[in-house]
Amino acid sequence: MSRLIIPLSAFFFFLAESTFADLFAGEHFHSSRIFVPHFLFIFILFITIFGSTKYGIIYGLIFGFLFDVVYTEILGVYAFLFAFLALVVSKLMKLVHSNVFVAALLSTVAIALLEILVYEANGLIRDTGMNFTQFAAIRLLPTLILNFAAVIILAFPMKRIIEKANFDAE
Amino acid sequence: MPQFFLNKRLIVLLVSIIILVALIGFSVRDREKLSWPEQFLKDTTGFVQNIFHQPVQFVAGFVENVNDLQHTYQENKRLKTRLDEYVKLKSEVQVLEKENVELREILDKEKSLRKFDPIEATIIARNPDMWHEKTIINRGKIHGVQKNMAVITSKGLIGKVKSTTQFTSTVQLLSSLDPKNRISVGIYGKKTIYGFIEGFDQKERLLLMKKIPYDEKIKKGSEVVTSGLGGVFPPGLPVGKVEKVESDQYGLTQVAYVKPAAELYDLNHVIVVKREQTVDSSDGAGAEGDDL
Repeated sequence: MSRLIIPLSAFFFFLAESTFADLFAGEHFHSSRIFVPHFLFIFILFITIFGSTKYGIIYGLIFGFLFDVVYTEILGVYAFLFAFLALVVSKLMKLVHSNVFVAALLSTVAIALLEILVYEANGLIRDTGMNFTQFAAIRLLPTLILNFAAVIILAFPMKRIIEKANFDAE
Repeated sequence: MPQFFLNKRLIVLLVSIIILVALIGFSVRDREKLSWPEQFLKDTTGFVQNIFHQPVQFVAGFVENVNDLQHTYQENKRLKTRLDEYVKLKSEVQVLEKENVELREILDKEKSLRKFDPIEATIIARNPDMWHEKTIINRGKIHGVQKNMAVITSKGLIGKVKSTTQFTSTVQLLSSLDPKNRISVGIYGKKTIYGFIEGFDQKERLLLMKKIPYDEKIKKGSEVVTSGLGGVFPPGLPVGKVEKVESDQYGLTQVAYVKPAAELYDLNHVIVVKREQTVDSSDGAGAEGDDL
């Protein structure tokens, strides 16, 4: 069971993102702001920080690719970015002391990077319909607020799951 | 961190960027259908999503019901005033329908572009990355869903089927930022005005109806419906109402901002429109040769 708990919870966050988007997003609150949930990405970053970098990158690749296939239908973007940012975060974690609050802050920074890179990638593929200032106001800021709240709520449960799975033993 | 840019790692990074670009190129081009690994992955996750969605929807539905109860009294009042209007409209429609059948009999023409088979479906997931506005429904190829079919709710058009797998299909919403997302629509008044729905204003959340001749006068609040000229969607599906009209950046045509009739968020049950007759058939009714 302890072997399966990480993939299962990653898959749960994968599904939860879509349900969240379905139920709570956008016009539901009668505003033009866009809140993008990144629970799965937060989980992958926490695996990288509190588990092992190798597994973080592997999970990033697998679930990023699943995300591409099932949701966006543009293959490669999220698979590459999840894995790449997991690597970047693991490098940054070596410079700072590893505790939950630093991890939460760093995750938020990584989410900001992810959003900006996805925006640029979409800009290359097709017209995104908004310039960077609009993007920052409509999308980036609300997304960061939402995900910072999500990190604060999910940090301790996620850390417990990952520590139970005991990556060092493998 | 000097070892970060060691040769080996740099090569791995470069190779993965090349793979990334190749994959994007592969997926962006206009594909007839998805490759089988994608279909398999989508079907498998779709199966789990379907199960996962039931309890969530049940709870969400309950909350909504409680909300509805609070507004019941006011709604009831408003609906009562509209009831008389409805009765009058109903009798009118009956007369017109009967006349339509008779006229068709005279012309010996039974098939119509307007006719369609509805396929009912439930939304089981939505793309959380909100760049590509897509939702996944629990009806696929084996239920008769095909690429490019129109998807509606009871209020109006919401999008079209982007891709299908055996048991699920992906619906691209009207608000999606895909330049290929073009729909031929018309405003039916004394004079019919045609145009295309192309693009979506993110900030004001309005659809853009483009390519309207510059000398046409459009009233605010006119109904926009699909024209059926594209050969993909049946005519007469409501799209929305005109909010404002502006001339385009070159001043040659006009752009109308259209408020979508259907709610593009908070979707639950949708209907996939299976057109009985497509333009390809040799029957005379399909002889509108307009490209989408």
